[in-house]
Amino acid sequence: MFIRRFAVSFRRHIHSSRLLQVGFLLAFWLAGEALARLVGLPLPGGIIGMAIVLALLASHRISVFSMRRGAQWFLADMLLFFVPAVLAVIDHPEFLGLLGLKILVVILVGTLAVMAVTALTVDFCWRWRSRQ
Amino acid sequence: MTLPITSWNDPLAQGLFSGLFWSLATIGLYLAAKRLHRRWPRWWLMPLAVTPVLLVIAVLSLHASYRDYIRGTGWLVALLGPAMVAFAVPIYEHRALIRREWPVLAAGMLAGTATAVLSGWGLATVVGLDGAIRLSLLPRSISTPFAMEVSGEIGGIPQLTAIFVVLTGVLGAALGDIVLAWLPLRSALARGALLGVGAHGAGTAKAHMIGREEGSIAGLVMVLVGLMNILVAPVLAQILRHI
Repeated sequence: MFIRRFAVSFRRHIHSSRLLQVGFLLAFWLAGEALARLVGLPLPGGIIGMAIVLALLASHRISVFSMRRGAQWFLADMLLFFVPAVLAVIDHPEFLGLLGLKILVVILVGTLAVMAVTALTVDFCWRWRSRQ
Repeated sequence: MTLPITSWNDPLAQGLFSGLFWSLATIGLYLAAKRLHRRWPRWWLMPLAVTPVLLVIAVLSLHASYRDYIRGTGWLVALLGPAMVAFAVPIYEHRALIRREWPVLAAGMLAGTATAVLSGWGLATVVGLDGAIRLSLLPRSISTPFAMEVSGEIGGIPQLTAIFVVLTGVLGAALGDIVLAWLPLRSALARGALLGVGAHGAGTAKAHMIGREEGSIAGLVMVLVGLMNILVAPVLAQILRHI
């Protein structure tokens, strides 16, 4: 009886605490990193962690509500985590000239092509399937 | 009572101070840029474009190096790991849609990957890039850990690829809005796939701002397209060896 009441209040606490949920996500990420290191998988730890969480959610071992607030916090400002990586260009002054411009053109035009082809393919297949 | 740090010439104290300084500068500038962008929503005012430019100016004018900077701010980049784990939530919440539409997404990912590799090769050749730089450009559309793996496999330089991946993300997240405005797309599926396949993590973050459905599709597609590239890489390496 006491244990059940404790479990209920504990669950409620997790469902409302963003900080605890952020801690959860960090723990699953670290578990993923450890597993990748141990087994020697050529996959980043975050992806293994994501797979573990998806498996736990799908088998109803954990509830979405014990992750949701923490996940929203991470996803809302995810772009911030990319910023320091961009500064690696400081170490490549050779990209400042014509070479950099060429690379920029390739990336710019290439990305436009990838986006257009992907989106049009998906939209076309989606319309074709919904007409069937 | 004596403080563990005795003077500001202490290397440990300096390291702590510079780490704190660059971390706060990065977060502060990002939040300010975000506010600016909310006020004036132009693509060139995007936080992911404005913040690095300001930081590069700051690093160079303070005569610091990239090593000083990243030593203090590497922990922010590491947070991409738990952010990846966080994508389990929106993916799980849209499982019905994903189960129903997976063939459509698979078709988009295949077409997108083929376009990424072919356009990278073709455009690089047209502008006169070759060798390791051209090879390093091929896996630019997938997220960094996958891209570095593929780059090494096909004979590129992984560190160079990492920079190209980040540039693709930054440009792609900015271009995404423009392309979305041009193309007459009917489904959230297509909008999510466009950003997830075209601009990996940065695109996915952008998709998450457009809508929860778009965000979860972009997140799923980003992971799957990365895995797909790892599987295709040995075949691609074989083909490239024969050209």
